[in-house]
Amino acid sequence: MQSVVVTVTSGKGGVGKTTCSANIGCALALLQKKVVVIDGDIGLRNLDIVMGLENRIVYDSVDYIEGRCRLRQALIRDKRAPDLYVMPTAQTRDKTAVSAEQMVAMCDELRKDYEYIIIDSPAGIEQGFHTCLAPADRVLIVTNPEVSSVRDADRVIGLVEAQEKGPAQILINRLMAARVKKQEMLSMDDIVDVLSTELIGAVPEDEAILMSTNRGTPVALNGRGPAATAFHEIALRLTGEEVPLRVQQPVSIFHRLFGKA
Amino acid sequence: MNALKQLFKGHDSPANTAKQRLRVVLIHDRTEIPAGMLELIKDDVISVISRRVPIDRANVTVHVDNAGNENRLLVDIPLLAGDNRRGASRTSIPRQRSS
Repeated sequence: MQSVVVTVTSGKGGVGKTTCSANIGCALALLQKKVVVIDGDIGLRNLDIVMGLENRIVYDSVDYIEGRCRLRQALIRDKRAPDLYVMPTAQTRDKTAVSAEQMVAMCDELRKDYEYIIIDSPAGIEQGFHTCLAPADRVLIVTNPEVSSVRDADRVIGLVEAQEKGPAQILINRLMAARVKKQEMLSMDDIVDVLSTELIGAVPEDEAILMSTNRGTPVALNGRGPAATAFHEIALRLTGEEVPLRVQQPVSIFHRLFGKA
Repeated sequence: MNALKQLFKGHDSPANTAKQRLRVVLIHDRTEIPAGMLELIKDDVISVISRRVPIDRANVTVHVDNAGNENRLLVDIPLLAGDNRRGASRTSIPRQRSS
């Protein structure tokens, strides 16, 4: 099976890597792709709760790697999409529990059955990042439109190139169109210009994200709203479709009041 | 309308300030030459060059410029005109402020 390993990472923490990984995974699965999303942040398990699957974990990736279970047993099937699986990580271990070679071997097994393997990687330059980078065919670097995360993104873009995993692509998260318009916030073009790196997409700030995380239902599963639309467009771009880059406008008050189902 | 706005506040907009600061900091991060190091280089250049020719110490600039994949150290040293040359109106060399 033709399969692609996409590692989602960032320089700075807290920019929305897990939200982006979960939603891109859901959006790809809704495009009828066979998808597995791996939580690569060993010791800081989070993908499961963001996706609302925390009560279904029996085994995790470390159990599989250390031979306590079979691959299928460590995968949680997400029934909300046709072919979507989540591989949780161990909560009580540290980054040294999985080596880069083991991660590559696990992904090679998964490649036999899945078209897209999305790895939610830890931020920055620690060992866990290198483990998640090792199997990558593509690397997405999440940044917010704000100076410190853009600066740290530049550092990681360099590291990805040094590991010959480049060129990485940037994913701008939490962009506020209104503040960009008022020239209070770095724009999509500003960030692309400063980082001289290609963009995979820009996800607007969207109140729906917090609500969806509270519930454990990624916005991309329900399909509406500016962030959900942006994630679906990013998924399409990952499949090779040409979708013009644009900033999703926030939903108007009228729409918010009367447009809801 | 936007162009007019740009004219009045364009270069000082918070977004532009962020962009310019990022440009500078990324050049230093990428070249691994901290900004403070440039001040030291500037002092060195001033002392070496001013031993040979009169220069306008206050307006010497040193910065790293990047074009594509190439980084270069750009040093700009304004010369002071000598007594016998045209434009020799200044007689004393301005003192460099210590930084």
